[in-house]
Amino acid sequence: MSCHSPKNKSKNELNFKDTINIALAGNPNVGKSVIFNQLTGLSQTIGNWPGKTVERMEGRLEFLGYHFNIVDLPGIYSLSTYSLEEIVSREFVISEEVDIIINVIDATNLERNLFFTFQLLELKVPMILAINQMDILRRRNIDLNFKELERIFKLPVLPVVAVHGTGVHQLLEEAIELVAYRRPHHHSRGKRLIESKYQNRPRPHSRRKRSIESKHRGLHYYRVEHVLKRRESKGILKKSFTFPELHQITSFGKEVELKILSLIEKINSYKQIFSSCNYPSRFLAIKLLERDSEVINIFTDNEEGKVIIELSQKYRKELESIHGEDINTIISSEIYSNIKKIIDLVLRTKIKKSRKRRTLADFFDHLTTHSIFGYLILILIMFGIYFFTFSLGDFFAEIIDNIFVIFSDIVYINYGADNNLVKIFWDGGVGGLVGAIGGVLVYVVPFFLIIEILQDSGYLPRAAFLMDRVMHSLGVHGKTIIPMILGFGCNVPACAGCRIMETEREKKISVALTSLVPCAATMTVVLGLVGRYLGFYWVLILFLINFSVIFIVGRILNKTLPGQCTELIMEMHEYRVPNYSVIFKQTWVRTKEFVFKAMPIMLLLGIILEILLIFNALEPINVILSPITVLWLGLPAITGVFLIYGILRKELTLVLLSILASSLNVPLIELLTPIQMIIFSLVSMLYIPCFATVILIAKQTNWKYAIQISLLEITLALFVGGIINFGFLIFTSF
Amino acid sequence: MSKKSNNSKTNKNINASLTKCLTECEKGEEVVVLRVNAGRNAKTRLANLGLVPGVKIKKTKNAPFKGPLEIIVKGSSLVIGRGLASKIIVECNGACLT
Repeated sequence: MSCHSPKNKSKNELNFKDTINIALAGNPNVGKSVIFNQLTGLSQTIGNWPGKTVERMEGRLEFLGYHFNIVDLPGIYSLSTYSLEEIVSREFVISEEVDIIINVIDATNLERNLFFTFQLLELKVPMILAINQMDILRRRNIDLNFKELERIFKLPVLPVVAVHGTGVHQLLEEAIELVAYRRPHHHSRGKRLIESKYQNRPRPHSRRKRSIESKHRGLHYYRVEHVLKRRESKGILKKSFTFPELHQITSFGKEVELKILSLIEKINSYKQIFSSCNYPSRFLAIKLLERDSEVINIFTDNEEGKVIIELSQKYRKELESIHGEDINTIISSEIYSNIKKIIDLVLRTKIKKSRKRRTLADFFDHLTTHSIFGYLILILIMFGIYFFTFSLGDFFAEIIDNIFVIFSDIVYINYGADNNLVKIFWDGGVGGLVGAIGGVLVYVVPFFLIIEILQDSGYLPRAAFLMDRVMHSLGVHGKTIIPMILGFGCNVPACAGCRIMETEREKKISVALTSLVPCAATMTVVLGLVGRYLGFYWVLILFLINFSVIFIVGRILNKTLPGQCTELIMEMHEYRVPNYSVIFKQTWVRTKEFVFKAMPIMLLLGIILEILLIFNALEPINVILSPITVLWLGLPAITGVFLIYGILRKELTLVLLSILASSLNVPLIELLTPIQMIIFSLVSMLYIPCFATVILIAKQTNWKYAIQISLLEITLALFVGGIINFGFLIFTSF
Repeated sequence: MSKKSNNSKTNKNINASLTKCLTECEKGEEVVVLRVNAGRNAKTRLANLGLVPGVKIKKTKNAPFKGPLEIIVKGSSLVIGRGLASKIIVECNGACLT
């Protein structure tokens, strides 16, 4: 049942390693990722949780002779089943992959953060509480009594100022002490290491010098008490309410507690049947009362389980009728009232009346959520993202292209430009690689940088706040605007950003909408063709059409996908100065992920396309596509291939077009008529997300959906393009 | 607390104590949550975030065009969609008049 069972313990001893597995858990925006970055530096990897679309951040480090595996869990508020993140987190925490949880707590928002701590306590996994942002608390003249907190929770509680890196490594020292104590083999070694370290160097926090012994006793007590409780739980109902201290803090009011204890008793007596599940019985009991779908699933397997479920349902109805409230509300209220008691004990404001001053952060907050300036700033930021990625990306793209041209000449001179192998490996392989770097990576990197700045400063929730109403008409709530804003830079990371959406349905709609946002590469086509030859007004019209298509797709998906639009519930934390080390490290990690995951596929495609070109396989494609390109869209037949290339990189459509124009020695304006330019740009804008985006859509949802979305977008692009073509024809014929 | 002051307070409450939904509140108004009439999921989420009956909240922002609103619950600011906010019933306990 629990991870402390003798069976697991012996397993730990057998697999004796000097590795300590840590899970960082906490609410969003508490500085968890800052601590994670301070600890692991550049050794992080981003992956997905097996079978889930939730991101898994993992990092390693070596400290005092121990290897640490640190997993940064997604920021969540509770361990229910509200979002995938919550389910993933709680399954991971109780798995044997975790030795210790470090619960990061925002000192400035203790009450809500402790709610999550209480949930973690129920999982009965060794835990360290890291109280972050202590500097801000001190600045506000509030005192936090750490001794009292440790006494209450029977857990190590450490002050941390993550942005300065203060106290971060003490967390690991504490983890070693905990593991050394929990695992007999480690005991002497961990102790010795720590002792020798302290002999050479005094502990940075004299506060920590306090007797380690007593703390250990506390933990020991915590563990033994837990086991004893489980053994005795059969008779516990008969006893009066004299719980050990730890249980006084997590226990509920009498009515609820009695029901839970009786459920625990039932669950414990079926222990053998549920040996497959690792959750402590108390956690199971609470979750059964709360009608937690995942936990209920564990029990529905057999008859005895169903009896327990029925009992829990009976209890729930009783409780709900007594309190006149929903069971989740009852339990949450109980936890919050317990927290309130703790807060009263540990927090003390030194100066009673401290008038809150209007800070710069408040001013920005007011400005960016203002009903007029807010939207102006939002538009400015969208343009800002575009210009930043575009100008910086272009600068590097040109350098890289020039270098490639120089090397190409050398290769052609040495091996001959007509050599098929040269074509495949140099033009296709290396050319594809350079194309991926010069065409995509140079835009993606500055873009990652700007996302991280926007994310870290706290602007993005404000945009969601402003746009919630608009997004609702598309079947999603305001948070979708966040990946959509990012889409102006590059659709690829923007689609990855859609993971912030809570439900599968919202994720699906979000990736579809995001993939339609004109990215920097699409903008080059539109500006380079329509903007340059036809004027800016036409560009605006194209954008208008683009946004109408986004709107239409949103409506279609809203109608066709099952489920309902959920309401926005989102925390809006204060503005803060972005932490540059976090920004740069995150940018690096994301770039690394992009290079290793998306680039190989683009490389392969480059080679395949080159092979197709050699065997003149593209000419038939032009012919095959000509009914669409020539008859329906009214474009020259050669554009068929360009559009195929455009799947790889959107701006290739324009690049190839200008190459063709220069080889024919005619200006672009003579190659395409104005209306053809408009249709060509529009189709390039809409017809399909670039290949890297499709891959990410598939990663966020599944391949079937990615293909469906691509087909939907192709249809829409052809539909709109055809309408314009025929509309124009009819219009001019009169 | 003396009986007299208690009386005057209840008198004041009769005038001021109103049950209404969160969307009807003024900007800057401080109210007490009475109940949340939303679906189970939303209700659980709100409860987890500290929005439970009896808790004091302060409405701080209204998004334009009937958009969401921002409230302060237990020291942290929360943005709630208007549809959901209209299902949160609050009580104005006289404190909002000042």
